[in-house]
Amino acid sequence: MLEPQFESALAHRAAPDTLSISMREISERGMIDLRGLATDKKFMSAVKSVLGFDLPKAPRASTSWGDLKALWLSPDQWLILCTRSKTNSLLAELNAALAKIHSLAVDVSDMRAIIRLEGESVRETLMKGSSLDLISDDYKAGTVRRMRFAEIAALLHVVEENVIDIYVFRSYAEYTWAFLTKAARKGAEVKLFKR
Amino acid sequence: MSTKPYRLAEGGSRIDRSRKVTFSFDGKDISGFAGDTLASAVLASGQKLFGRSFKYHRPRGLVGLGSEEMNALIGIGVGSRHEPNLRATQIEIFNGLSAESQNRWPSLKYDVGAINSKFSRFLPAGFYYKTFMWPKSFWKHVYEPFIRKAAGLGKAPEGRDPDTYEHMHVHADVIIVGGGIAGLTAAEAAASTGTKVLLCDENPVLGGIADLTAGMIDGECVADHAATVAARLAALPNVHILTRTTVVGHFHHNYLMAFERVGDHDPAILASGAPKHRLWKIRADKVVVATGALERPIAFANNDRPNIMLASAVRGLIGRYGVTPGSKGVVFTNNDDAYLTAFALKKAGVTVRVVDSRARPDGALVKRAIAEGIDVNLGSVISAVEGTSGVTAVKIAAYRRGQGRVITEKRVDCDFIAMSGGWNPALHLWCHNGGKIEFDDSLQSFRPKSHTDNIVAVGAANGTMSVEATLVEAQALGKKAKKFIVQEPERGASESLWFAPATGKYNEGNKHFIDFQNDVTAADLELAQREGYESVEHTKRYTTFGMATDQGKTSNLNGLGVISEATGKTIPEIGVTTFRPPYTPYSFGAIAGSLTNDLFLPVRRTPIFQWHSDHGAVFEPVGQWRRAYTYPQASESKHEAINREILCVRNKVGLLDASTLGKIEIKGPDAAEFLDRIYTNTFSTLKVGKCRYGLMMNELGFLSDDGVTARLADDHFIMHTTSGGADRIGAWLEEWLQTEWTNYKVFVTPVTEQWAQFAVAGPRARDVLSKLGPDFDISNEAFPHMSFKQGHFGGYPVRVYRISFSGEMSFEVATPANFGQGLWNAIMEAGDEFGLSAYGTEALHVLRAEKGYIVVGDESDGTVTPVDVGMEGMVSKKKPDFIGKRSLEQSFLKGPNRKQLVGLLTEDPTDVLPDGAYAVAAVKNKPPMEMIGQVTSTYMSPTLGRSIAMALIQNGRSRMGEVISFPLEGGKVMKATITDTVFYDKEGGRIHA
Amino acid sequence: MLVVTCPVCNASGDETDFHYGGQAHVRRPATTDPVNITDEDQRDYLFIRHNPKGLHFERWRCDRGCGKWFHAARDTVTMEFKATYGITELPPAELIKEAKGPWADYFKKRLKEKA
Repeated sequence: MLEPQFESALAHRAAPDTLSISMREISERGMIDLRGLATDKKFMSAVKSVLGFDLPKAPRASTSWGDLKALWLSPDQWLILCTRSKTNSLLAELNAALAKIHSLAVDVSDMRAIIRLEGESVRETLMKGSSLDLISDDYKAGTVRRMRFAEIAALLHVVEENVIDIYVFRSYAEYTWAFLTKAARKGAEVKLFKR
Repeated sequence: MSTKPYRLAEGGSRIDRSRKVTFSFDGKDISGFAGDTLASAVLASGQKLFGRSFKYHRPRGLVGLGSEEMNALIGIGVGSRHEPNLRATQIEIFNGLSAESQNRWPSLKYDVGAINSKFSRFLPAGFYYKTFMWPKSFWKHVYEPFIRKAAGLGKAPEGRDPDTYEHMHVHADVIIVGGGIAGLTAAEAAASTGTKVLLCDENPVLGGIADLTAGMIDGECVADHAATVAARLAALPNVHILTRTTVVGHFHHNYLMAFERVGDHDPAILASGAPKHRLWKIRADKVVVATGALERPIAFANNDRPNIMLASAVRGLIGRYGVTPGSKGVVFTNNDDAYLTAFALKKAGVTVRVVDSRARPDGALVKRAIAEGIDVNLGSVISAVEGTSGVTAVKIAAYRRGQGRVITEKRVDCDFIAMSGGWNPALHLWCHNGGKIEFDDSLQSFRPKSHTDNIVAVGAANGTMSVEATLVEAQALGKKAKKFIVQEPERGASESLWFAPATGKYNEGNKHFIDFQNDVTAADLELAQREGYESVEHTKRYTTFGMATDQGKTSNLNGLGVISEATGKTIPEIGVTTFRPPYTPYSFGAIAGSLTNDLFLPVRRTPIFQWHSDHGAVFEPVGQWRRAYTYPQASESKHEAINREILCVRNKVGLLDASTLGKIEIKGPDAAEFLDRIYTNTFSTLKVGKCRYGLMMNELGFLSDDGVTARLADDHFIMHTTSGGADRIGAWLEEWLQTEWTNYKVFVTPVTEQWAQFAVAGPRARDVLSKLGPDFDISNEAFPHMSFKQGHFGGYPVRVYRISFSGEMSFEVATPANFGQGLWNAIMEAGDEFGLSAYGTEALHVLRAEKGYIVVGDESDGTVTPVDVGMEGMVSKKKPDFIGKRSLEQSFLKGPNRKQLVGLLTEDPTDVLPDGAYAVAAVKNKPPMEMIGQVTSTYMSPTLGRSIAMALIQNGRSRMGEVISFPLEGGKVMKATITDTVFYDKEGGRIHA
Repeated sequence: MLVVTCPVCNASGDETDFHYGGQAHVRRPATTDPVNITDEDQRDYLFIRHNPKGLHFERWRCDRGCGKWFHAARDTVTMEFKATYGITELPPAELIKEAKGPWADYFKKRLKEKA
């Protein structure tokens, strides 16, 4: 029988040591795009019965429990994060719980590439490509924001003060990697407001 | 020449005399001190000449002290690092700097173009329009080459720029533009409330012209006070200071662009990895314009000679760099401020005389000058300047306000002139986004009036010229703060002086320069008025006054003054020309930022991109995607490779990377009804597990996209769109659901990139798949054409669509993207024994054209309906409403003579019609000919061994068998017979094999 | 470069994070009555747009954010957003009063339907 060969978007990329931040691909994460109405109590409780926690209702919020995480994308859309190997079973559980409820859950684990950025100048590095005020209080740990980054669409998840995951569509992974490698170059750091 | 004849023995707040710096200017080594500008160092070396003027090539020297400099434009760096048109006054020197003057040939001293000056009578305002009209042929061969060579200042660098550039975004509660005494005070006031303050200044050192300003603040001189405030600000966590950063534009909603020269002044900074320039994109709640004021030159005859400078520039050269332009100077003024320059010169041991146009000035500084024994000629003007590449003497004439000619004059030897016609608030930024201004009689200048944005002007930028009032104004930005005790000289009124009468013929004004950079004189402006250019905007375009990089910094008001005197209108009646961004020019590198080379455009890669690349693929762009076009092997040409790939699909089996196809999951109780609205044909009747080809129109009734949609469950579909249409159609579906059919319960999730998707096409396709270990029945009976299966190939999860764009038996296999490369390899391996080969997009296009399948975007161009392309059968007659239905009934789209899609077979089967070739009703010797249609797709078909084409031809479908003509470039006419569009396997048996 | 704030998710950003969707409150005749649409109705729906100096009602999408469409009332002279509101909603009462041209008629009709 054919053994499936797994190859993530940036499998062959390693960050050069000339950067002021650290950068790596996260490829072992499963992702489920979940749509349903936040105003639909049946939907919300069915999802809770599977995840074990409430989907976040506040814009740009995220909630987590163990290795599960739910990122708010829209009033009727969330991105559920889990360990990649558990994606199928989680999706099956969600679909079972939501069988009679208007919703759409899709495995999108391979649709986006995730790059984890770590370091003190992570936010300023991203501000070379994003017009958002990422050093403001709006972007505390846990915040999720979709945005225009450089010339493409991206999703940003503030994991910790100096740890940010950036999600881009898989086809743009190399572009994003190249942009970040250039922006995060040592010597090109910008410290805003003496942070 | 002695060394450093113009460097004073002491003084110079900006320079470090212990650090000598050597650079080259026009190939000559020159030494200066660390902290010098190119301007101060070159001047200190004894050289007055910095450039030649744009039109007349007149010798020019320094005029200003900072970014207002309009003459001394210099090219810096060599080869690919060359950067033209930088102001000598802003270039900070370093060891090894290489600089050159511009707009001269062969050298600055001997310039052939200077002959233009001799003919200046024949080069008046508007000379382009007047002179180069006749004879017609002269324009192309004589005039234009001449103008091209003569015009343009610097030259463009050669080769690819090796430096890096970047953009940076920043948000602030308050941005203060300008770090002079007004800006510093405003910054401190604003910061005291806890807000985030961004302070930008174009100079390397904060303080603006505090060092050129008289007075004491709390017992400190203004410059020391400024330095103290700057130091306090530098320590505040809520203040970010950017020096060497020019705010070049102000746009809607307080969006500003600022240009930071990060590494221009020090190669070590560049070597450390920093970008050369950084473009800041700034968003602020409030903008404080503290841009100060610009000193005006005075319009007098030959006022453009080298060593005639602004009074503030002379004062700055002495104070900052310990440099004097000469040993004997004349200060020519209509205001008190310039007297400070006289004091500075006297203190430096330079002989100085003041010529003041005012008859009875009574300010404190005038009295002090007289008391100190400085020669002051009141009620006087400079009526003539002697010297060509410098100043040797002036004539001083008695003058009363409004006097038009010289009556008496006397000659005085001197070697430089410091002029001051008063100060204008620097209004550019205020005006970029529609700020209103008003004329202030006491200032003899415009000042800010009102603005729709949250923006204020403080200090000199607001027309507030006293230190005390400036501090009060700036402090208003913060909480109530302590009042400073300010001592400053009481100022007398200034008096407008728009035109100083001159000796003899010079009184015509054709050597009274107004716009130095564009060589516009008072005479040019007067001529424009006489010729009827009444609107100041017309005068600007006719004479080029206020245009280009100077943007009227020094020229604007003087020009208006001249026009005012020529027309008898007041300056407010004349109005001002528009100030446009940028305030000063900035580099293309900064504009591009980091988006160069591999980042120039985002390129989308499929999961198989690297494989394509490794296997010799030639890529073609499809939107931002790069798709494999064909895979030439060894010595194959592209054409041979394409033919091989096509025949491989027709005779054996081929593998295509179709991952770029748009894929959208659509689910909900109303999903089927929704699709019936979106597509022209019906989807509610589609059975689960089946696929259907659908057409989409836009609301105008024109083809917009097409693709195959499969029904996964009663309430669940997966839609395929074209590669280019994926994002657009995804957004389109959302838009209709959110804005029009809001009652539909449907969710739409685009999943294009989740899947790697491949077409396995050809008579052996099933043989290949069966070797992959499918866990479902792939026989024709169990898995017929236009059906769908989900399962596994070995360990690979797959969705398989039996659909075809080649006319062969074909399976589109989708697997999650990260398994894509693995499955691709497995298929290649499994297909080996059947002769499988990868095929690219060009083979795909020929294959589909052989079958007469359309491509939206090739066969359609945004004005083509489904009926036009012969798909009337796919436009539902039953459904009451779907997008575009009503428009399709508009008379225009139902009218006669629509172009219709047909096939074409050329008379000579080896002739391939050019893409887009026009068919004509009748061939004539030369155009115009009546056009009846155009070729939309055209190929040499290896399957048929002849050329084929499709075309949109007027009434095409009723012209079957007719021969039509395509006149081509070069006179050749190709003839082709109109046929139906299916060239191969008309019965369609192969697809169901 | 305008700053736009989405009324659905309250995110603010540059207009490049949003998508401008043209004039608001244009009724699509085919949705309600696909049969009796005159050529003039269809023309007005497709092509006739109002381009006033001043108050303008328009559609935007929070394109890079929550993806939702919304309405905005914007002054085309000062560029000020007077209000943003839901894509199925009418503008605030005070702006309905200020509305001119085709919007005035449209709002009147809608208010009548509601009542």
